Amino acid sequence: MHLGATLRLLRVDAGLSLRDLARRIGVSSAYLSRVENGVDAPPTPERLSAIARELDVPPALLMDVANRVSPYVAGYLEEVPGAGALFLEIARRRLSGPQLARVRDFLDAEFPVRGTRADAPVPPLAPLLAPERVVLQLSCSGWDDVLDVVAERLASGRPGVDAALLVKGLRERGEESSCAVGSGVAVPHAFVPGMAPAAALVTLAKPLKGATPDGKPLRLVVAALDGGHGSVRLVRLAHVARLAAYGLADRLLELHQPAQVLAALSELEALR
Amino acid sequence: MHTNALALLILQLIVIIGLSRLIGRGARWLGQPLVIAEVVAGIVLGPSLLGWLAPDVMNGLFPAASMPVLTMLSQVGLVLFMFLIGLELDPKLLKGRGHTSVAISHSSIVVPFALGAGAGALWLYKSLSSPEVPFSSFVLFMGVAMSITAFPVLARILTERGLLQSKVGTVAIACAAVDDVTAWCLLAFVVSIVRASSLAQAALTTVMALAYIVFMLMVVKPFLARLGARVASREGLTQNVVAVTLVMLLASAGITELIGIHALFGAFLFGAVIPKEGRLAESLAERLEDVAVVLLLPVFFAFSGLRTQIGLLNTAEDWVTCGVIIVLACVGKFGGSAVAARMTGLRWREASAIGILMNTRGLMELIVLNIGLDLGVISPQLFTMMVLMALVTTFMTTPVLRWIYPTEELARDRVVVPMPSEPGAAPYSVLMCVSHGQAGPGMATLARSLTGSEEGAQLHALHLVSPERASLRPEQQRDPEEDSALTPLLWRAESLGLSVRPLSFVSGEPAQDICRTAKARRADLVLLGWHKPLFSQTVLGGTVHEVMQEARGPVAVLVDRGLADIRRVLVPFIGSKHDRAALALARRLMKQSGAEVTVLHVTADLGSHGGARAQVEELFPATDGGVVLKVVRSDAPDEAALDEARHGYDLVIVGVGAQWGLEDKAFGLHRERIVRDAPGSLLVVCDPTPASAAESTPEAANSGPHAARALPARS
Repeated sequence: MHLGATLRLLRVDAGLSLRDLARRIGVSSAYLSRVENGVDAPPTPERLSAIARELDVPPALLMDVANRVSPYVAGYLEEVPGAGALFLEIARRRLSGPQLARVRDFLDAEFPVRGTRADAPVPPLAPLLAPERVVLQLSCSGWDDVLDVVAERLASGRPGVDAALLVKGLRERGEESSCAVGSGVAVPHAFVPGMAPAAALVTLAKPLKGATPDGKPLRLVVAALDGGHGSVRLVRLAHVARLAAYGLADRLLELHQPAQVLAALSELEALR
Repeated sequence: MHTNALALLILQLIVIIGLSRLIGRGARWLGQPLVIAEVVAGIVLGPSLLGWLAPDVMNGLFPAASMPVLTMLSQVGLVLFMFLIGLELDPKLLKGRGHTSVAISHSSIVVPFALGAGAGALWLYKSLSSPEVPFSSFVLFMGVAMSITAFPVLARILTERGLLQSKVGTVAIACAAVDDVTAWCLLAFVVSIVRASSLAQAALTTVMALAYIVFMLMVVKPFLARLGARVASREGLTQNVVAVTLVMLLASAGITELIGIHALFGAFLFGAVIPKEGRLAESLAERLEDVAVVLLLPVFFAFSGLRTQIGLLNTAEDWVTCGVIIVLACVGKFGGSAVAARMTGLRWREASAIGILMNTRGLMELIVLNIGLDLGVISPQLFTMMVLMALVTTFMTTPVLRWIYPTEELARDRVVVPMPSEPGAAPYSVLMCVSHGQAGPGMATLARSLTGSEEGAQLHALHLVSPERASLRPEQQRDPEEDSALTPLLWRAESLGLSVRPLSFVSGEPAQDICRTAKARRADLVLLGWHKPLFSQTVLGGTVHEVMQEARGPVAVLVDRGLADIRRVLVPFIGSKHDRAALALARRLMKQSGAEVTVLHVTADLGSHGGARAQVEELFPATDGGVVLKVVRSDAPDEAALDEARHGYDLVIVGVGAQWGLEDKAFGLHRERIVRDAPGSLLVVCDPTPASAAESTPEAANSGPHAARALPARS
């Protein structure tokens, strides 16, 4: 997990400069830069919410990426000790992802969050993938090769998308700022107007050494192709970063069939 | 109480910064940029409001004696600020925007410049200037003052509206950047003329300024690029680097001041030549911005406000003049750029959006006006009018933009990352698919002979692991075994001095993945390996068959029997498209590594081989040197080819086809005799590009050289 790298990724994609975002949330750009580089501690939940608002992504998502959930919950438990018993009950039943999703649906229906607009549901990653866009155990000599493979998968079967141009787009985006979000995951992405969104997933048999924010070698690449610039794509990127923080790379690295990958992902994503 | 100058200065700073932030909140609420608030704060503190309501307070707070200190402080702030403006000016913005930006920015300078200069010459000089101001200076200055665009304010507005990535945004920001550079050069020129006492001196100043610009670009810029590279590679910006940059900035500002153009120009120029690629520019901006923008810039605004005396506009005529100036400024800038934008093919809506954006004068105008007032070119009265003009044009930008270019329009008008078009002819590229390690060295040898000493040839090696084998493999052995299939190839390639890009992944459908990879890598040739299959006796069954079905370009299967050096090559030839693909490969071997090629033309009757000879000659022009053409009459082409192959060839290249006993079948139990009995290595070539009916039969292919032209031969 590396919150700073994710923040930078989202900020660059939102088209905000460091100074703009800093000014909007009322911090100095030097501080924000330190946060993005992981030199400073992750921002407080309030500040994180402000950032999420400026980037137009659900605050809970960023909170999740930042692993800020447990302190937040701990604070709540101290205020309302009775809630602890409920959490224990959930833990005792060992509820799986889909079951928790049902619990959450109940909560949403019964106790809608007041004061904030209803967050649009986080778009899941699994439906954007297809078995032919999952490449497993790739071993190659460098990042360029990964981009080639990814672009070719994203372009295949889509007239109007040229793999070579896609590689160029992905590379240019990568030069602007790194697309590695830590935990061995990178999310290169590109835009082709009017294209339905799609994703490709590559696991690397030989971890790629390179500049990753947390120093862990790259083992999983989730590439996204988008048709628009809307906030959905930012939410999706943040969502992938959160999955990375959950240990997505470790889980998928063991798998050898695209179908297994899709199943694992759906399971992991059931509770968004 | 005000005996201590420092205490007074600190008090002034507190009041100025506090008030501009306070008004800034209001401006933010109105959707206005902060600049507006800061200018208004200055005017409020000056004689226009505070001095009018409570002259004592103003004189106590800003006594005339404290003015020199404020002047100096605001000038230092401006030097830093202009440096930041230069830093924000990325040459990438100017590149690749084509004639759109150039045309718009030129007309957005020329038109208001002409209007400003014209108004100055015909009317304002008489009514608002004094005779001691030289006519030329006044006219030129008015022209420049009218044609300013505020690059930073424009950038802020674009960011806040989320327009930075839209077409309008990119064009506007590029135009503003061009405008900025042009206007500052013009201003430097005007300043030099105003300051010079004679024409000769003005010329000298101009020459020195040009020399200085050349010096910055030729000497300082390369140095900074190296400094930037060092900063990027190491931990970051040390204080030493900051110190060096600041000293150079001050030196640059000082030199331009000494030359006779303004110090601000030197600061701007220095900021502009700092490389934007690494982190240097960004880090410097981060370090300096807060001090420059929050602390020092409001001082400049307050200072400008103190010099703005709205009280000077005390007659109706003055106000009419002021109004006319504002209208002229808007017409010139908005009209000039909008019409030019429309003429370059943008829609009216977009064109007007660009026009209104370019009309933003912001604080750049104030900087210019202060220079003019300092130089004595314009009177305090005209200064006030122009300040009001700057305020109005900046103030109207956001609401008007929102009106002409509403958010719904904006959503439709996002642009994509510009994707430049393809480069020219791609280098020759070979995809070598290795399923077993032993096939690798032969492939590397063949690839070496095919590419020879060609520059930039692309060699890719691909190894696909079946999912079953991947999951059988114990975790800890993954890496060593993963490498082993490609390692022999890579070793041979290394000893031959080839650079090969290896690639390997798990694949359940190898044929499809091979074809996809070949397409992605733009492979001119897909090279497959062959090892003795377990069940089938054929070379061309299974995956090979599928690849040949699906591939878009030539596919060749190498049957390796110790291929070490390719000196003699035999091509049995009848005339099918596959045969011609085989000939093309042979030709490549001859051209790239001087292999000796023998073409064996097998024909049923000796009389009709003229057509084949013509085809061979088309592919092997006599100028290329030796190709041996042998003509054999035989009813069994494969026997004839085998007989010839026994005469010591390193490699036999043969097209797929029944005549050679090589049928491309999914489940062949065919003998494939030529594969089994050929003594040396064999390369079976298939050209899957769809052929016309005439070409698909060997007999008809003899019809003439034009048939050979259809061959996708590359050299």
